[in-house]
Amino acid sequence: MPQPILRLNSISKYFGMTKALSDMSITFNSGEVHAIVGENGAGKSTIIKIMTGIHQPTSGTIELDGKASIMTGPQAAREAGIVAIYQEPMVFPDLDVAENIFISDNSDGLLMRPSEQRKRASALIKRIGIKLDPSRIASGLTLAEQQAVEIARALSQDVRVLIMDEPTASLSAHEAGQLRKIAQNLAGQGVAVVYISHRLEEIFEISDRVTVIRDGSHISTKPIAEVTSDGMITEMVGRGFSKYFEKATSTTRDEVILEVRNLTLEGVFENISFDLHRGEVLCMAGLVGARRTDVALALFGIMPPTSGVVKFKGQTAKFTTPRAAIEAGIAYVSEDRRKLGLAMPMAIKSNVSIVTLDDFLSPLGLLKSEKERKAARHFIDSLNIRTPDVETPVGMLSGGNQQKVMLAKWLNLNPDLFIFDEPTRGIDIGAKAEVHDLIRSVAAKGGAALLISSDLPEVLAMGDRILVMREGHQMSILKHSEATQESIMLHATGQRQETI
Amino acid sequence: MKIALNKLQSWEGFLLCALIFITLLNVYLSPQFLSFSNWINLFQLSIEKVIVALVMTFVIINAEIDLSVGSMMGLSACAFGWMVQGGVPGGLVIITCLIIGVVGGAINGWFITKAGLPSLVVTLATLIGFRGLARVLVEDRGINEFPEWFDALGQQGLIGPIPFAIIAFFILFTALYIVLQRSGFGRKTYLIGTNREVADYAGINTAGHKMILFIASGLVSAFAGLLYAARVGAVRGDVALGFELDIITIVLLGGVSIFGGSGTLFGTLLAILIVLSLRNGMALINITGHVQTGVIGLLLIGSVIAPRIHLTSFWRRLKGEHL
Repeated sequence: MPQPILRLNSISKYFGMTKALSDMSITFNSGEVHAIVGENGAGKSTIIKIMTGIHQPTSGTIELDGKASIMTGPQAAREAGIVAIYQEPMVFPDLDVAENIFISDNSDGLLMRPSEQRKRASALIKRIGIKLDPSRIASGLTLAEQQAVEIARALSQDVRVLIMDEPTASLSAHEAGQLRKIAQNLAGQGVAVVYISHRLEEIFEISDRVTVIRDGSHISTKPIAEVTSDGMITEMVGRGFSKYFEKATSTTRDEVILEVRNLTLEGVFENISFDLHRGEVLCMAGLVGARRTDVALALFGIMPPTSGVVKFKGQTAKFTTPRAAIEAGIAYVSEDRRKLGLAMPMAIKSNVSIVTLDDFLSPLGLLKSEKERKAARHFIDSLNIRTPDVETPVGMLSGGNQQKVMLAKWLNLNPDLFIFDEPTRGIDIGAKAEVHDLIRSVAAKGGAALLISSDLPEVLAMGDRILVMREGHQMSILKHSEATQESIMLHATGQRQETI
Repeated sequence: MKIALNKLQSWEGFLLCALIFITLLNVYLSPQFLSFSNWINLFQLSIEKVIVALVMTFVIINAEIDLSVGSMMGLSACAFGWMVQGGVPGGLVIITCLIIGVVGGAINGWFITKAGLPSLVVTLATLIGFRGLARVLVEDRGINEFPEWFDALGQQGLIGPIPFAIIAFFILFTALYIVLQRSGFGRKTYLIGTNREVADYAGINTAGHKMILFIASGLVSAFAGLLYAARVGAVRGDVALGFELDIITIVLLGGVSIFGGSGTLFGTLLAILIVLSLRNGMALINITGHVQTGVIGLLLIGSVIAPRIHLTSFWRRLKGEHL
C-alpha cells in the first residue's frame, strides 16, 4: 500500500529576482514510480536540488514521514534516505564494482575485507535484478552498468527516495529498458522512485503517477492511466504539438553525394556500405556499442579507416584530419557537447565562429569583431536561441540552447554533408522539434544528412532510410515505409540480418 | 554601469586597485618613486623576466607550461660568451643564439605535440638539459670581454635615457597584445587552452599551434638571455638560474589560469608593475629581499583563491543554478 514518504508543501525558490519555483506541492509515495515532466528550464532540476538539500527553499516546507524537516545539505538528505542519480554516473574508474558501491561506507572502519565487500555487493546487485560481477573494474562498465553501480550504492545507504534525473538519456534502447526494470523493481520493494525523463514513451511504460510542471509551477499530478501523450505535451509546452512524431515528405534527389563501400576500421567496424543522396536524411540506428559514432569519425577524418572506399561529391576521399573533411564540406555535430562540441566558458559569438574562423579575419589575421557578432546575432534570431546577448558564455545557456549554438557553428560552414550525432539527446521537446526542422531544412536545400540517433521515434520521424548497425556490423538498410520500432530493434539486437 | 561593475569584479580590476594603492604608498614613502629614472631602474632590473613573461602568458593560456625558459636564457647567454671569446663576429653570434632558441623551443614542441608528452615533464627535462649545455660551454669561468657596442646596448640609453631592452619590451608587448586579444591566432590560443578536443574537432591544427608557441617561447628566452648578458656585461653558468619560477609567478598573479583558457596580457602587465613597485616599496621601508619574496608568494596564493571565491559562491548565488 503506497504511503506518503516525502511531501513538498508550497515550495517557492527565488534566485535573486529570478523565480525558479512557485508554490510547488508534490507528494511522493513509497512503492511508486512518480514521473516529473516539463521542458528544460521548467524547474525540474531545482526541485531535485531542493529535495537533496543542495538548495534551500525561499518559502515552503518539506515533510518527511509527516514531520517537517529541513535538508541542511546533501549529507543530511542522504542520511534521510534521499539520493539522486544523474545522466552521467559518478563512479571511480580505477576501483572495482564492490569498492565503488561501498565507497562512502565506513561502518567497518577504514578497511573492509574485499571478499566480504564483494559478497555484500552481489546481494545488492541481486536486489536490483541484474547480472554484474562485483570484481569488475568500473572503467570497463557500460553507462547502464555504471548507473546500476550508483543505484546499488544508494541501496547500500538505505535509500527511501531515489531520484533518477534523465537516467536513460545516454543509454541505448536495450540498456534503457534494463534501467527502467530496475526502477520498477525498487518501487516494488517500497522505494519512492522519482523519475525525470524527456522520453515520453518510457514514462508511460513505467510510471504510476505523472506530475507536469511548467515555468516553475505545478500544472497537474495524475495517475498514468488518466494521461495521454498529447495531453501531457500540451500541458508541458502550453500548446499543442502534433507534428513531433510525423514524418515529413522526403526531399531525396537523384544525385549521390556520398558513396561508402566496405568501409572498415580494424577491430572497430567492418564492411559498411551505403549511398547518401542530396536532400536525403539517412538515419543510423543501433544500440550503444554498435559503433555508429566510430563510422562517423572515420568519415570525418578523426579515425581514418583501415580499408574501404569513400567517394564524396564524386571524388575519392581519404580524410586524415578533420580540417580536410571540413574543407571538403563535411560537418560533424558531436554527441558530446561538453567535451567535443563547445568551449563552455567562451562567448556564444566565439563558439559560433570557431569552424570558419578564417572568414572572420582581415588579411592581417585580425578578428573582424562586428562581423563575428553579426553572424552570432543572425543565428540567435534564426535558431531562436534564448540568451541575453552574443557575449554570454555558452555554459550559461540551457541544454537545448547550447545544442543550437553547436549547430550554428556548423551552419556557418554551409556544408554539403551534415553528420548529426544524437543531436536531440537530453534537450526538451520544443528544442527537439526545432532541431528536427533544421535537419529537414538542411536536406530540403540539397544538403545530405547522416543522423545517428538512439531515439526510435526520432529515427522513424526523420529517416528517409534507416541503416541499422550492431557491434560494428551493418545489419540492414530499411526504407522508411518498411521500418517500425520493432523491425529496427530486431536488426539492432541481431535477431534478424538481411543479406546485403 | 553593469559592464563597469563586472570589470571591477574581475581580477584585473582588483590588480588595478592594488597597483594604485601600492603606488600611493610608495609615493608617500618616497616622493622619488614616480620619477622617470626610478621607473627605468625598476624595469631595467627585471627586464629579461618580464619580456619572457609575455610569451609565457600565451603558453599558459594554451594550457601548457614552459619550465625551460630560465635555462634557455642561460644557454643563450653562455653560448654568446663562448662564441665571442672564440672570436666569432658579434652579429653572427647573436643570430646563432636566436637560432639556438628556436631549435630548443622546437625540441620542446616536438616532444609535446608529436610524442604527446606533458609539457611539465618535457620542459622539466630540457630545463636540466639546457642548463647542462650552458655549463659545458663556459665551465666554471666567467666571461666578460664583450664587444663595446654590445655592452653599451645593455647599459646605456638608446632613446634618451631609455635602454634598448625597455623599448623592446614595449614593442613586444604591443605586438603580442594585438595578437592575443585581437587576432585569430589569439582566439585559437584561448580556444585550445579552454578545450583542446573542441578545437581539434573544429578542424584547428592544435599541434601546429602549440609548436609555434613553444618555438616563440624558446626564441624570446634566447633573446632575453642576450639582453641579460648585455646588461650585466658578463656571463656564467648560472645566468638566469631559477628565473622560470619568477616568470610563471608573474603570469599567474596576472590572473592567467594555470588550467588554461583565461587571462589577458593586460593582467600580466599589471602583475609586472605590481611586483616591481611592491619590491621597490618594500625596499624603501627596509624590508629584506626574503620577506619581499614571501609577500609576493602570499599575493600569488591570493590570485589563485580570489577568482574562485567570487566565481563559485558569489556568482552562483546571483545567477542561481544556471551556471
